[in-house]
Amino acid sequence: MQLGDSRTGKLADNITGFGRALRRAGVRTDSARIALAQQAAQLVGVSSKDDLGAAMEAVMVSREQDRMVFRELFDAFFRDPEVAHKLLAQMLPRAEGRAEPSRRRPRVSEALSPQKAFARMQPKPQDQQVDFDAAMTASDLQRLKHADFNGLSGSEFRLVERLARDIALPVPSVPSRRLLPGIRGARMHWPGVMRHAAGTGGELVRLQRLQRHREPLPLLVLVDVSGSMERYARLLLAFLHAATRGGHGRVGRRDVFAFGTQLTDLTPAFRQADTDAMLAAASLAITDFAGGTRLGESLATLRQQHARRLVGRRTLVLAITDGLDTGEPEQLVHELDWLRRRCRRLLWLNPLLRFEGYAPTARGAAVLHRHAHGMLAVHNISKLEELAAGLAALMAS
Amino acid sequence: MFTSIDALTQGLQGVGYFADRRLATAVFLALRLQRPLLLEGEPGVGKTELAKALALSLPRDLLRLQCYDGLEQREALYEWNYAAQLLHMRAAEVLHAGADTAQVEREVYQDRYLIRRPLLQALQAPAPGAVLLIDEVDRADEPFEAFLLEYLGEYQVSIPEIGTVRAVATPVTILTSNRTRELNDAVKRRCLYHWLDYPDRERELDIVRAQVPGASEALARQVAGFVGKLRSQPFANAFQRAPGIAESVEWARALVALDTLVVDPEVVADTAGILFKQREDVAALTRDLATDLLKPEATAA
Repeated sequence: MQLGDSRTGKLADNITGFGRALRRAGVRTDSARIALAQQAAQLVGVSSKDDLGAAMEAVMVSREQDRMVFRELFDAFFRDPEVAHKLLAQMLPRAEGRAEPSRRRPRVSEALSPQKAFARMQPKPQDQQVDFDAAMTASDLQRLKHADFNGLSGSEFRLVERLARDIALPVPSVPSRRLLPGIRGARMHWPGVMRHAAGTGGELVRLQRLQRHREPLPLLVLVDVSGSMERYARLLLAFLHAATRGGHGRVGRRDVFAFGTQLTDLTPAFRQADTDAMLAAASLAITDFAGGTRLGESLATLRQQHARRLVGRRTLVLAITDGLDTGEPEQLVHELDWLRRRCRRLLWLNPLLRFEGYAPTARGAAVLHRHAHGMLAVHNISKLEELAAGLAALMAS
Repeated sequence: MFTSIDALTQGLQGVGYFADRRLATAVFLALRLQRPLLLEGEPGVGKTELAKALALSLPRDLLRLQCYDGLEQREALYEWNYAAQLLHMRAAEVLHAGADTAQVEREVYQDRYLIRRPLLQALQAPAPGAVLLIDEVDRADEPFEAFLLEYLGEYQVSIPEIGTVRAVATPVTILTSNRTRELNDAVKRRCLYHWLDYPDRERELDIVRAQVPGASEALARQVAGFVGKLRSQPFANAFQRAPGIAESVEWARALVALDTLVVDPEVVADTAGILFKQREDVAALTRDLATDLLKPEATAA
């Protein structure tokens, strides 16, 4: 047991070092938390490694997805902090054949390895490169293709910004549960009434009311990033990002997913305020760019892992795809059935609609056509005005 | 107050809550470090129950604030009884015209016109303090989270007419979230965090035994085993929502009520509506699947 003794201060050092390693692995841990972890360690004691681990976890982790990273790192770190670093650093470059290190998440390995480099005061970027490769070969992923969403050019940027400003994307609104002072409404706004009464000697001259204000519906966007949609995905993402950012009025909930052969959550990327930053983050996140389309499977992932993103049948779902699906049609029918029942409106934005006489006859397209509440052309990106107007009409219907 | 993790586990068990070691550690730390504890997890894993059990075992009063979209300060913290205040002003006007205005003001904003909501009640609860459960905090909107920060960080709230109200005795605060959305980092920073998983088989068995005393040992084992498998891969993929602890307890009760001695596919199909609350899920639990799920169990039992 290398946990050290709290009286000699070794434990304190180790916890601090562990906190820093945790931060490198992407777990948000600030110094206040590390200080709290020290206290927690004193309370729980170091006699049981499991208890100490549970205590550290309660203090230092605050997201469900960070738990496994934490546990792996905790195990590696507190087995023997110093030896662990050295061993790990030595083992990593030829880790392919070994079961143990390759099972470790790349994030954890990366968090551990710079420590070694730091100790030697000689950072070696190649080392990290090698260890990353090892992690990749260990997995059975095929060659990945990241999306190359360039930043917007000057004219594109101006276009998107202008459109987003001029055409407020008409996400329909519903009366919210929250009451705000107003002039109509059934309930009195007593604090306001009293304040006014105070100015008029206790006479109730003006009666303020509480009224429900309107709130935009939650929005869920599914963007197809497969080969056939390559040309549209980028600018549409940029426009959606700018248009739903909500410069004025209340911002509704907004969840964005990209799908090709798999589902990618772009919601964190969309939280970036800057559209270019969003595109950069999206490029990194999307690993199946310009590949095939498996809409059914992607929707199944959505149902299994992100079903709660669909808020109480209020969500407006925008599916941006050409419907050229290579998956199983039965699965697609099943998943679309589910999706349609759980959302308020399922709208299909289809770039193929530009062709004269287009009919959704492809298998996937026919299914989508049957299930969507409405269909809209989105091919001509420069005429996004029409998109906004069309969206308004579809949503109102 | 519990002096060790074991004592806490015992105490919770005494009131019928079976906590695993990790959870007990988190709760123990929350008590000792006087930090709020944020519990996340699937619906039906016992987040709310923990707060209730904790209140019973400490023992302290349980105050509950159920969050919902549009929850506001006046429902969470305090509200003045405006109608009564107005009456008071009118009465003061009639009875002693020309009275000292400062006096009237003091009277209008006196304690008895203050309606205390859970947060304020928790702060003003006399020693040893209360257990405050802020339930399903993810259902409230983000402005409400921001409003909670002062309470979570300092155990105090500021009321303009009164001043700052500090906790008489630090309330034990439990927040629960079903993760319909990610909570603000500012809230999380002020809390300890624990992700509650479905219980392992032994713990579930303990719960079923304790909650359904009428069930035979064999039946309880079958229930715990069956539900545990429903939640595990690859079976969980077939369903939209796995049954929680409440469902397995409810199912055990139903089986006892039906005088079931041994769970067979027939019975499973008949009572699937207790385990699953969605039509697709009930349909997905076919007789074949139930047979599959029961098979190794039957050989083991």
